[in-house]
Amino acid sequence: MKKKYLIYLLTAIIGLSSCKKIIQIDTNNAEPQLVIEGKISDRLIEQQILISKTVGYDEIGVYPKVSGATVKVSDNIGKTYVFTEKAPGVYVNRMQGVSGVTYKMEVTVEGKNYQASSKMPDLVKLDSIGVITNNFFGNERKTAAAFLVDPANETNFYRFNLYVNGLFSDRIYVNNDRLTNGNNLRIQLYYEANDDDDEGLKSGDNISIEMEGIDSNIFNYWYALSEQSGGGPNQGTTPSNPTSNISNGALGYFSANTFQRLSTTVK
Amino acid sequence: MSIKFYLPIILLLLFSFSVSAQNKFTLSGTIRDGSSGETLIGATVKISGPANAGTLTNNYGYFALTQTEGTYTVTISYTGFVPITKSINLNKDTKLNEELKSTNDLAEVTVNANNRKNENVKSAQMGLERIDMKSLNSIPVLLGEKDVLKTIQLLPGVKSGGEGNTGFYVRGGAADQNLIILDEAVVYNSSHLLGFFSTFNADAIKDVSLYKGGMPAQYGGRLSSVLDVKMDDGNNKEFKFQGGIGLIASRLKAEGPIVKDRGSFMVSFRRTYIDLFLRASPDSSINGSTLNFYDINAKANYKINDKNTIYISGYFGKDNIGVKDLFENNWGNVTTTIRLNHIFNDRLFSNTSLIYNNYNYTVKLLNDVTNFKATSLVRDFNFKEDFQYFSNQHTLRFGLNATHHRISPIDITTTSEESQVNPLAQEKRYGLESAAYVSDEWAVNDKLNFLYGVRLAAFSLLGPGNFSEYDAEGNINQTDQVSNGKFYKNYFNLEPRFSVSYLFNERNSVKASYNRNTQNIHILTNATSSSPTDQYVLSSNNIKPEIADQVALGYFKNLDENNYELSGEVYYKWMQNQIDYKNAAQLLANSNVESELLYGTGRAYGLELFFKKKFGKLNGWVGYTLSRTERKFAQLNNGNYFPARQDRTHDVSVVGIYNLNQRWTFSSSFIYSTGNAVTFPAGKYVVGGQTVYYYTERNAGRMPYNMRLDLSATLEGKRKGRFQSSWNFGVYNALNRKNPYSIEFINDPNEPGKTAAEQTSLFGIIPSITWNFKF
Repeated sequence: MKKKYLIYLLTAIIGLSSCKKIIQIDTNNAEPQLVIEGKISDRLIEQQILISKTVGYDEIGVYPKVSGATVKVSDNIGKTYVFTEKAPGVYVNRMQGVSGVTYKMEVTVEGKNYQASSKMPDLVKLDSIGVITNNFFGNERKTAAAFLVDPANETNFYRFNLYVNGLFSDRIYVNNDRLTNGNNLRIQLYYEANDDDDEGLKSGDNISIEMEGIDSNIFNYWYALSEQSGGGPNQGTTPSNPTSNISNGALGYFSANTFQRLSTTVK
Repeated sequence: MSIKFYLPIILLLLFSFSVSAQNKFTLSGTIRDGSSGETLIGATVKISGPANAGTLTNNYGYFALTQTEGTYTVTISYTGFVPITKSINLNKDTKLNEELKSTNDLAEVTVNANNRKNENVKSAQMGLERIDMKSLNSIPVLLGEKDVLKTIQLLPGVKSGGEGNTGFYVRGGAADQNLIILDEAVVYNSSHLLGFFSTFNADAIKDVSLYKGGMPAQYGGRLSSVLDVKMDDGNNKEFKFQGGIGLIASRLKAEGPIVKDRGSFMVSFRRTYIDLFLRASPDSSINGSTLNFYDINAKANYKINDKNTIYISGYFGKDNIGVKDLFENNWGNVTTTIRLNHIFNDRLFSNTSLIYNNYNYTVKLLNDVTNFKATSLVRDFNFKEDFQYFSNQHTLRFGLNATHHRISPIDITTTSEESQVNPLAQEKRYGLESAAYVSDEWAVNDKLNFLYGVRLAAFSLLGPGNFSEYDAEGNINQTDQVSNGKFYKNYFNLEPRFSVSYLFNERNSVKASYNRNTQNIHILTNATSSSPTDQYVLSSNNIKPEIADQVALGYFKNLDENNYELSGEVYYKWMQNQIDYKNAAQLLANSNVESELLYGTGRAYGLELFFKKKFGKLNGWVGYTLSRTERKFAQLNNGNYFPARQDRTHDVSVVGIYNLNQRWTFSSSFIYSTGNAVTFPAGKYVVGGQTVYYYTERNAGRMPYNMRLDLSATLEGKRKGRFQSSWNFGVYNALNRKNPYSIEFINDPNEPGKTAAEQTSLFGIIPSITWNFKF
């Protein structure tokens, strides 16, 4: 990321500008693959397990839902939750996950069985959220930030979702405490609006931050994706499918995570 | 491999010397440039009379020839110099120190074509390219900064790391598999400004040799290539200055005698001034930013007596990048080489070197809560003892080499109480690389030449340290605590090197070579281009030494009195213990980084065609490479071979230099290459609200091809006394082609729901102007 930004800096300074254009690439469309996204949170809600299929690279992004699956989740204290199909490909069960409990998902669909397990971490409190103003090449830039205290006695993994005026920010925010264990953390969530005159956050914007405490597999899943998102295939890490914790070759993941959400308005 | 394999080589070495000479005497000496006193590397010394023989001067301008008693005609020649012919009565061991006059000083003399005539055909050495420092000056480059690393990328078999990048790939190897040495000291990071410029200031450089294969036994430690760069010694006759002012950098070099004809010095300095433009900005956050690099090359030599000459040389370079109140990043290399040339007798020449080099970087984050300073260091102490023994038909070379490595992977300190980053001192790693080698260049007869030898390379991972072993998931199985000075892990590799040439006649030959190379220091990076924060690791209990075996076969032909050179080489290379990375690998500041690695094999093969016109008003070359380089890892791509990112099927380069008259020189270079092998999505899906791409085959896609035409013109100013100046005008990417730098996948702005590939290009057409002077 830094290199890319410095290249832009360099080219800008010597009076040159990089240029972007849409090109055609030569790639094969893959056969549809099964995608399972299962989440159990510590709120008493309709927990959802979504089953769908991939589409080819150059197809419209309408993803076929997979109906008729048998979906259940069991925990290591002897309970089993059967998920029912509420809408095509959407399997639900109203329940509440508990920290420290390991949940095991079992999905049977199209004659194949898929399993995954995830242990819900202890809750780390999202203390507050706020807006930080950075000076970035003479431009003031406002960035959303989450404040929390990382517990020193355990390894923690966090994932954040940012919403600006109700719209989901299409970026991956994951952190671990490898270099920051036990400290007061201010985690900044960089944001680019989807227009050309990108100013970041503006006064009056309404922001919401969701924080999930995730396990190490889920961190690795999102971290692998975030590493691939910068620079593209020629400059960044060679892209590959992130390692899923689901067996039998399904894409996606199954996560038992804590969940908190806070909102504020940019001043 | 068993001892049987090496036996023929050992026998060859033993028996080829068993025939002792009767009544033979040695003619030896040093050949220098008459105007500067600079020793000439690779000057031709030929004798004819009762017997005919010839040799080239070594890296210190020294030569020795042994022949039967008699009267000989000696001819000494070197490109751009007037040859000397002398009659010598060889009835005792004889010294012949000569100085050649440059043809530049004599307007009437046309460029002499005798130097190393047909050398490319005759020598057993394969895969060697030497850069002519004179033509380097006229080859067009980005922003007019002439650059040896950019120029070698125009040769067949050498692929550029990408636009604006000095990283290079030789015969399918990785960028960290090139041994880059400056006056024998390893330069770990050879790039400035994130790879847009190289650390080699062309003003300070005397000679550049690149070995793509057939490495002689005195070189070792890297798989792919050796780039041997030698600095100028300095003028030992008079004080000289030269320099240049370009768009982004200025250069100044001073040289002169310490004691006339006995010792000289050279100091060269280069600095960019992009940040002066930054400082001119009225905006306080821009004018507080830094973006510069500088380098200093310095060298001195002193001839103590006829038998001993001492050389001291050093390089110091630094890059600084900083954005006010956000971050600072600096990095640089330091090298120091102390050498003693000693002539034991006419036939035995020795060079003893003590070398220190380090590469270090610092990253500072200055944000109020994420503030820290991270430093990293690679430091080597190196001792080399090299002997050259000149016998009748043999030039024997043998020696020892020991390098002590210290790597401090990362040291994080925080600068304030509020910092949310914890201090971290990752354990240092220590290693000892040692080698013993012997090689022989044997002219069997007029037709057959051998260059063969063997290098025994040893590597020891030293304590102190905690060394862990990992299971397939990356969890620690066990950890050994090793105390200071203990040899924890040792690897021994025997590296045979063998080249042969057979001359059909003076102008046609075939050559073949086989060589094994091993490597014990590796860069961990999962990005394409060289980065200042590249991390170095030593071979260890987990990382085995990388091994490459290369065979090559070539046909060489010269035409029209060596005005034209043609060659074709094919090669095949097997690589073992190659490194790749697991998904989500965290390479920086990770004490268990070795748990993130995957080990596999590689193969590379190709055809290189080269056509060069050496002299005349129009000269230059055409190079073409057809090649493939692949890797195989059990955990990647279903265990099948996949193309390495730098796999480019076709690679073409054309360089033309036209000397219109005494004042104007025009030149151009053109490159075309197949795009990099990259992984494109084959499908897509949505998780967590994100569009995620589905990948099938690794690196099965191709970036668009690269094509670029660069132009340059040099105008020599009229000479005013000692003062001479020239103007260089350049146009980079004259066709203004948008070459691909990266591709990102975005939502198609024209067709909602669809995906589009958006290509970023860096440089369009870029003019440049540089003013050079010397006096």
